[in-house]
Amino acid sequence: MSTDINVVIASFIDRLKRRQISGSYQVSLETLQLLKRFVSAARWSSVEDLIAQLRDLGTRLGKAQPTEFTCGNIIRRVLALIRDEVEEEMASSDQVQKVAEPMISSIFSLLQKPAVVSSATLPSSSNEKQADHPKADLRQVIIQGIKELIDEIANIDDGIQQIAVDLIHDREILLTPTPDSKTVLKFLIKARERNNRNFSVLVTEGFPNNTRIAHQFAKTLSEHDVETTVIPDTAVFALMSRVGKVIIGAKTVFTNGGTISSTAGVSSVCECAREFKTPVFAVAGLYKLSPLYPFDIEKFVEVGGSQRVLPTMDNDRVGNHNRLDTVNPVADYVPPENIDIYITNIGGFAPSFIYRVVWDNYKQQDVNLEN
Amino acid sequence: MSGQKGKAARKAGNSGRKPETVQDERLQAIILTDSFETRFMPLTAVKPRCLLPLANVPLIEYTLEFLAKAGASEVYLMCASHADQISDYIESSKWNMPWSPFRVSTIMSLESRSVGDAMRDLDNRGIITGDFILVSGDLVTNMEFDKALDFHRKKKAEDKDHIVTMCLSKASQFFRTRCHEPAAFILDKSNDKCLYYQDIPPDNSKHKTSLAIDPELLDGVDAFKLRNDLIDCHVDICSPLVPAIFQENFDYQFLRRDFVKGVLTSDLLKKSIYAFITDEYAARVESWQTYDAISQDFIARWCYPMVLNSNLLDDQTYSYESEHIYKEKDVVLAQSCKIGKRTAIGSGSKIGEGTRIENSIIGRNCRIAENIVIKNSYIWDNTTIGSDSVIEHSLVASGVKIGSKVVLNDGCVIGFNVIIDDHMEIPIGTRLSETCVEKQASQFLDSEPYSDDEASESATPLSDAEPALELVGDHGVGYVYDSDDAEDEDNSSVLDRVTNALTYRFDDMYLSDSSISSVGAKHKKKRRMSTNSAYTDREDDYDDDVDYDEEEDFAVEAVATVERAMENNHDLDTALLELNTLRMSINVTYHEVRSATVVALLRRVYHFIETRTLGPKDAVQKVFAQWGQLFKRQAFDQEEFLDLGNLLLEKTVAQGFEKPEFILFSALTCLYDNDILDEDIVYTWWDQVSQDSSYDQAKTLIAKWIDWLKTADEESSSGEDSEESDSE
Repeated sequence: MSTDINVVIASFIDRLKRRQISGSYQVSLETLQLLKRFVSAARWSSVEDLIAQLRDLGTRLGKAQPTEFTCGNIIRRVLALIRDEVEEEMASSDQVQKVAEPMISSIFSLLQKPAVVSSATLPSSSNEKQADHPKADLRQVIIQGIKELIDEIANIDDGIQQIAVDLIHDREILLTPTPDSKTVLKFLIKARERNNRNFSVLVTEGFPNNTRIAHQFAKTLSEHDVETTVIPDTAVFALMSRVGKVIIGAKTVFTNGGTISSTAGVSSVCECAREFKTPVFAVAGLYKLSPLYPFDIEKFVEVGGSQRVLPTMDNDRVGNHNRLDTVNPVADYVPPENIDIYITNIGGFAPSFIYRVVWDNYKQQDVNLEN
Repeated sequence: MSGQKGKAARKAGNSGRKPETVQDERLQAIILTDSFETRFMPLTAVKPRCLLPLANVPLIEYTLEFLAKAGASEVYLMCASHADQISDYIESSKWNMPWSPFRVSTIMSLESRSVGDAMRDLDNRGIITGDFILVSGDLVTNMEFDKALDFHRKKKAEDKDHIVTMCLSKASQFFRTRCHEPAAFILDKSNDKCLYYQDIPPDNSKHKTSLAIDPELLDGVDAFKLRNDLIDCHVDICSPLVPAIFQENFDYQFLRRDFVKGVLTSDLLKKSIYAFITDEYAARVESWQTYDAISQDFIARWCYPMVLNSNLLDDQTYSYESEHIYKEKDVVLAQSCKIGKRTAIGSGSKIGEGTRIENSIIGRNCRIAENIVIKNSYIWDNTTIGSDSVIEHSLVASGVKIGSKVVLNDGCVIGFNVIIDDHMEIPIGTRLSETCVEKQASQFLDSEPYSDDEASESATPLSDAEPALELVGDHGVGYVYDSDDAEDEDNSSVLDRVTNALTYRFDDMYLSDSSISSVGAKHKKKRRMSTNSAYTDREDDYDDDVDYDEEEDFAVEAVATVERAMENNHDLDTALLELNTLRMSINVTYHEVRSATVVALLRRVYHFIETRTLGPKDAVQKVFAQWGQLFKRQAFDQEEFLDLGNLLLEKTVAQGFEKPEFILFSALTCLYDNDILDEDIVYTWWDQVSQDSSYDQAKTLIAKWIDWLKTADEESSSGEDSEESDSE
């Protein structure tokens, strides 16, 4: 592989580490651009080889920023795309072979067919035949697939809005604890504009990491003629009885239907909502679905800087009397039972159904990217 | 040369908005890798400060990471001591790879002995093309540099004399990273323009903490704020003029104490400095104390997003667990060991049964045996610690072997490869090193570069250097590094050593006071890691000694300067420049300058008479005719000329000439003839002095001269001037 692409990858990893690329939307698009370059520059002897290379890349990206799952999701999507393509290729070539075979052995071939596919995804005999012409072809197909993915992600909000807008009733009170989610913002604005419904939104302040963003969010909403109230995080329980729906933005959705929210404090809000039987809607683009299972929640929740919690310079944590400690997680894990419905760009699903959507988009063998 | 370039660049920047994008293309950064201090001795005898690990990452990485985030495109490392190690490190690091966000190059500035030297070297090389970032190689920060840069550009658009933006971080007065070089900044309230800078002595010294501000500095300022709650992390955005100013003022050594103060108090430069104040974390690892504090902060994620588990080095594999515990891959923990809060453990390390570790950082491949207590300590790579030892608030460098049942008390620093035998107890605040580290007067750097260990071992057979066997045991290896020895010697010897070092440095330049006081300060700065270690009275005495009268000191300095100028026959401008810089660096009035000049001139005259090279009259004529011109630029109004007259009188008598009256007379006539002293002034002066009964002998001849002057005056210009002279 050319050194050029290596430089691109390494600098991408560096930027990921340095958080110069952040936010799942931006990360996903940048990852796709990187993949496009990678695929067009990569050389491979067989499709297996390409897949191995991509898996390797996925591992490296995953290590660079372990709590940013979108990188891995995107790579898995592309891998699934490649595998589908290969399978299709196989199927058609099999068909060609089948045509040549006598009709009588149809029952045999029916029985044999899965064996052929599973024993070797690429039979070496047919591989040689396909060696040159499908390769260029495959490259084109993959790049085309990546472009489609880019389109999908860029238009993800439209899809979500289409579905979600009808879920809001007139004069309903909504609560959102994730003011940093652009999807939530756009969706609320759209709901106001399109349906001309009167509803009001409560925004939690999200101290300490999100306070400024929350205020900005509330301002933007009110500018769009949505009645907005900023409430402190502590008031959630008190106000929950009047809330009609809780809307949260998800950062990552796991196979079990649990989600890592984009801010801390969401989990307690969802817990409150459950107490009051208030429905919780999670909005998430398809690319946020991850085939991983949250076994070790602690590992998935990132811990942020302490200076936000305790203004840095106003403490004298000196010497041995260092008993003061601060912890500032920047995300939250919300278990599936606290979420009522996921609204994705391809439709709304119950948390228990998420696994089906995941396996529609990913391949089982790519869950663990490490070779 | 580069100064001119800089001016051109500045012009371009001012003339239009567009060139801003041109500036964006290349943001240069200069890293001063050498601190020119000895605070991290004895460790810095072997390794430069910027390669010492903080939380298992070499310090320089933090600075480079900051610059990468700041968007620098070219980074130059100024290396002095251990330059080879630094350049080796950089060459093999990821920053030298093709995907590095900037081009990094090392500059060997081996002769540099201070920040000032490094800046002058930089100017000579002409690398700087535009505004650049100046940082030290021991910075730890998560500052968002864009804001500072925007601030800098904005101010620059407003004020064309803007040359430096200092990035300062807010801190409370007692914040622990703010222990060193505390300083007061006087800022214009409206625009954060820095009006005055004064370093204040640390609160544990007995120095008076007062500020003297020249009211002129506050002219045209509506409101100002005086702040001493700022951590000066030495991140400066400088214009290319800055190295040029260092070049012009060859006595500037320190960025703050000399340069900032010098620029602000200078009546000639008319440049302005702004301060950008940030809330974010920014601190320098400049002493053991700050090393300790910053390590703790770093582990407790105060510097987020720069945290240990973002794995700054490529081969690191830290992952985070709750209570701020970081572990790398392949850490072996025994089942019964306890890992407490705020701990990091590097890969390949093994922790034995029953060991308790809290609030500590353990490097890679450490062998830590059973039932050990490690608290608040820093254990670097490849160390071995025997069972049942206790390590409290200490630093153990790499390669150290500690036997079993050893106790390291508060504040110990165990240097590289030291071996400590079983059952030893190391007292509070001890510093040990593998080889005896010489402490020489010339050691202004972190250290003299040692080529390698064997060489240094053989090169230091000092008579008084004996292995500290009573501390490390019979099978141990280690010498005590005694940082306190400077205090034992009296003041004059310190001065002598400094003089030697300085003359070695500046061939024919004079000894500036600022360097004396700064050196004094340097010795003071030795610190123990522990915050609660007591300071002895002896130290305080020493501090007081250093604080001898500044003015007196200036007198000695200035006299020496003028004398040297006369001896080497410098031109007047050079002599004046030297005097002026000296005046500014110590901040004395022109009175002192005049006084010193007078003394120097008279001494010269005395010297001529004594050695009988010239007669008294010729001597005075020769000296005053040529050098009397100095006074023209030292006295500006009548008051000051009167003062000059008084000084002449006073000092002539003090000098002990055989015939003071004659010398004084010749000097005055000479000055009068050369149009330095006006006759009006002479008369006024005489009116004041003649009433005074002191120095009567000296005044005899003058009286006659004045009389003669007056009559001559009347005769020559009987017309218009007569009234005036009558009134005299």
